[in-house]
Formats: sequence, structure tokens, C-alpha cells
Amino acid sequence: MSWELLLDPSLVRLAVSMAVPLALASAGELLMERAGLLNVAIEGMVTLAAAGAFLGAFASGSTGVGLLVGAAAGAGVSRLLAHYAVAWRRDQVTVGLTLYVLCVGLASLLYRLVVGVRLTPPRVETLPPVPLPYLENLPVVGEVLFRQHALVYATAAVVVALHAFLFHTSSGLRLRAAGENPVAADTVGVDVFGLRVRAAVAGGVLVGLAGAALPFTFTGTFTEGIAGGRGWIALMLVIFGRWTPLGAAAGALLFAYVEAFQFKLALLSKAVPPQFLQMLPYAFAILVLVRAYRGAEAPQALGKPYDREART
Amino acid sequence: MRRSVAGAVLFMVAFLGAAGAAPSRPRLAMILPGVIQDADFNAVGYQALKEVQATTGVQTAHSEQVSVADAERVAREYLSSGYGIVAFHGGQYLTIVQKLAPLFPDAVFIMESSGQIPGLPPNVWNIGRKFYEGFYVLGVLAALSTKTNRIGYVAGIRLPDFVASLNAVFQAVGKYNPRAEVLYTFVGDQNDPVKARQAAESQIAAGVDFILISVNLGTVGIIEAARAARRPVLLTTFYTDKSSYAPQHFAASLLSNFGKPYVEVTRQILAGRRGGYYEMRPGSGFGLTPPRNVPPEVSRRVQQVWRAVVLRQERVEEITDRVVERR
Repeated sequence: MSWELLLDPSLVRLAVSMAVPLALASAGELLMERAGLLNVAIEGMVTLAAAGAFLGAFASGSTGVGLLVGAAAGAGVSRLLAHYAVAWRRDQVTVGLTLYVLCVGLASLLYRLVVGVRLTPPRVETLPPVPLPYLENLPVVGEVLFRQHALVYATAAVVVALHAFLFHTSSGLRLRAAGENPVAADTVGVDVFGLRVRAAVAGGVLVGLAGAALPFTFTGTFTEGIAGGRGWIALMLVIFGRWTPLGAAAGALLFAYVEAFQFKLALLSKAVPPQFLQMLPYAFAILVLVRAYRGAEAPQALGKPYDREART
Repeated sequence: MRRSVAGAVLFMVAFLGAAGAAPSRPRLAMILPGVIQDADFNAVGYQALKEVQATTGVQTAHSEQVSVADAERVAREYLSSGYGIVAFHGGQYLTIVQKLAPLFPDAVFIMESSGQIPGLPPNVWNIGRKFYEGFYVLGVLAALSTKTNRIGYVAGIRLPDFVASLNAVFQAVGKYNPRAEVLYTFVGDQNDPVKARQAAESQIAAGVDFILISVNLGTVGIIEAARAARRPVLLTTFYTDKSSYAPQHFAASLLSNFGKPYVEVTRQILAGRRGGYYEMRPGSGFGLTPPRNVPPEVSRRVQQVWRAVVLRQERVEEITDRVVERR
């Protein structure tokens, strides 16, 4: 297999675009997990945010409003998760799975209430490419990286900013402390409860934007099952990235590349059954995950409700 | 007082007796694999159901997103609630019908498949859908319209219907433009627009300028890929006309009218015929929108081929078990 095929600009360009929802969702999940909250509602949140973003844009005619509605939907659900998991100290997996089911059903219901049954699906405008002056003319990378839609650039900025926040600011240190050792953090005056709630809302905003990216960059409409397991993949990417934003984003790019490559391969070789090619990204994910999980350390208090009264 | 009570009782007995003697109209329940707001396969199924109710007066109900594993339970619930006709909108429910029909001989079942299924119980109506004959005509349209001589076909699951449709496209292209090549992708999901878009973008990058769409909800992703392409890409779709979605990209749509077979079958059941076969094919349940965005001579030729297929003057071979590439 030649390098020309592997590094085909159209393939890499597609992979970069496809990585956006994965990178945003994994960044949001990572922020929550770093604070000690495990969010297994993520697939449902992506679906609900996609529906909310589409309906917001459909009703208002503005993509900006759609993005806000999508972000708000993600933030709202994660705030609810935080309420049960932080304030009421309920089991995070149970609450998360309940919210997942609720979100998927709610997305479908809202769409039906607003749009109803039609033979022509309504659509909203997808985000147009925004070529960056000068950079777009760079050989190869100009085409691949700098003629993308605005969410690609925004995602890159979010990932770098989140990395800087978590590992190079005192606020980031406090947040990580709340996820590693909430008792110790509380002892030195860190507001563990408040931090976890704020991390949940901020993470929910990013997950919501990941959901909004699906109708605004790929489809122009909302469809049942639009998340297509991308929320679960984002959950895996957090582990792949060893709970670092740059690592998770690299994983998102890699997964998106393999996903895009299967379609290229399908056109080149008819000898390989399509079912095998469709399995490729997930087989790749399992293999990489097994490798990446070795030596990876999750935040120590991840998934554990913090109870100040339990201290002895 | 006693006389008036007895009179009332007699009246009620007579009334109930008369009501019991009157032949009750069977009720029809439809089981759908997806949601009715999909603007596609399930939406046209739901429309057919509404048409049955409006034209025959039969009371209807429906259940959405019923997986094959759940279908038997849902069907039994309808049967035990007094529904005399249970329709399965989708070819995946065949084994459920084969199992339930002998167990409920008083009920009538309606099922869909790619063709006539041999040996079905006597209380089953089989609607055969010959999509591939319609796809043959769409293949002719693609063959005569492509400028790059590269035609794309995007399907979801490798089901016999879609394999037959792809083979029909190969036959059409082989006959009407042997220089053209057909690139096809099965994305593994009929309803994932993101995957469908990825597949379409890969095809467009490989030089395809005409894509025959054979997915359901995935269609919207392919439309977006065509809109984002740097050179003109034409599309065709099926079930419903989606040309308003991207008027400058649509060449034609193969329309499905499930109302016609469902109304006809329901009338036959009401008339006492409890089983049989109804075939949907070009001219009978399938229609073609007038070709657009193509030269007039191409449009004329395609409509000629359509009429020839309707009249069975142009035969299309049905191959459902393997892809036979003809170049």
C-alpha cells in the first residue's frame, strides 16, 4: 500500500472533519472525568444536542442559535447528572444510563413534536468552509487543514486551551485534585462539590457542541440514531488519550482516519467483504485501547461520590 | 315497574344480539422497523396505513421501531387485542410471519419481500417489491448522464433487494455506456447519514459525478456530500422525492406508493380472499419523477426505457445473492 494512498489529501481532509464531534465529545467527557464524574449518558447527550441544535436552527433560521441550543442541551443534562451524582451522591453509572435512555427518547419526541411526519426532511444550512488567508495556500496542509469549516478551528483551539487549563493553571490543578483525592482537596479549601458541578456543566457544553456538529457539518438535518455510537467512542478516546486533551484529540483523529480509510479501501478492493471493512475502525479501537490502557491511570476518585460526612 | 325493567332487559339483549350478529370489520395493525418521521421508508408505510383507513374504513394502529426480535411479541399483542390483520412493513419479518400465520389461522398477515415467497401459509398476503427494475432505469439515467464515466452506488446493508438493485445498475451501465465504471459501497447502515456522507465523499474524490442512493436516512448525508463537492454531482434517490432538498443535484427519484398495494390487499381481505401475492414494480406501485438537470435527449431516452420496463419489453435479470460486475 503506497504512501500516496495513505496520505491522500481528500482522505485526510475528510478525517479531520470527521474527528470534530469525537474530539469535542471526548474533551467534554475528559473534563468531567478529571473532576471525578463518570458520564455514561454521553451518547444520549450527543443525540439530544444534535436534535436541539437542529430544531433551534430550524425554528430560528440561525446556525448560531442552533449551536447555543445544542450546547445548552448538553449542559442541562450534565447539570442534572451532577445534581444526582454530586448533591445526592447517587451511583453515577445508574444515573448516567438512565439519562442516556431519557435523552434518546426525548430527542425523538422533540423532533416529532416540532417537525411531525413529512415526506421531505427539513434541512438547515451546514457550515461552509472558511479558508484561512495565506495558510490555505500552503502546499498539501493548506488544503487539508486550512480550508475547513469553523468548528474544526474551534475544536483545535478548545483542545489546546483545555490542555493548558488542566496542566498549566492552578484552577486546573484544583479540578484534577477534586478528581484524584477529593478529601485532601477539601482539606485545603477546594470546593469539591462546586468544582464538580462546574466541570459537569462545562463538559456538557462541549458534548453538546459535539452533538451540534453532526447536523451542522455532516447532514443538515436530524435523524434517529445520528450519534451512531460516537458518544461511546468518545468515552473510549478519553482512556486512549490517558485522560489528556491532546491525547484524546489525537485518538479522535486516528479513529476518524481509520473510519474514512475503510470507505477508500472499499472502493479499491472488492475482494475484502464490506462487513470486514465496517468492522475495521472498531477492531482498531479495541486493539489500540488494549495497548493504551496498559499503564494508564484513571483519576483515583472517578465515579465515586464524595461524601464529606464520611470522613473519619 | 317490573314490566319496564323486563322490557329494558329484552331491548338490551336484542340490541347486543343484533350487534353480535353484524359482521365486524377487522382492524389492521402495522409493524414498522423505524420511525414514521424518517421521510422515507417508514413514512411511506405510515401513509399507506392512513390511506387504507381513509379508503376502506378499516380501523388501524401501528408500532414503530420494532426490531425482528420484538416483532412476534408486538404482533401477538395486536392479535390478542382483536386485530384481525397484522401487516409487517419490511422484508426482515419473514420468519415471524411464517411462524405466526399457522398459529393464528383466523387472522390475516401481510408481509413484504423482494419477490414471491414460495410455500407461505394460506392466510398470508405477500407484497413483492421489485426495486431492481426501477434501479435499472436509474442506472440508464446515470450511464447516459455521467461525464467522468464513474458512477457511484451507496447502499447500507447487503440485503438481497440492494444487491439485486446494484446488479441491475451494472446491467444498465453495461448496456448503455460500457465505458463507464460503477463504484459501490455498502456502509453497513441504512440510516447513518454520517457514514453515508463519508462513503459518498470517498466516491466523489475517486471521480464519481453521479451517485445512485440506496440508503434511507443516510440520504441526507449523501446530499450534503454532493452539495460540498467542487464539481457537479448528480443524485437519484428512492421511496420519496427529495429533490427539493437540493434541486440542482437531483436527476430523478424512484417513488414508492405503498398505499396502492395495501389498499388493494385490504379490499381483497374484506372480500374474503385471505392470501395471495401482489407485485410492486415500475408502473404498479413504483413511479419515476421526470428526469431533471440532464439533457432533454437523455430525459427522453430514460422515459422510453421506463415505459419499456413497465411493459416488460426490456427485461432485467434479478440477481440477489452476489454482485456481478459487468463492464
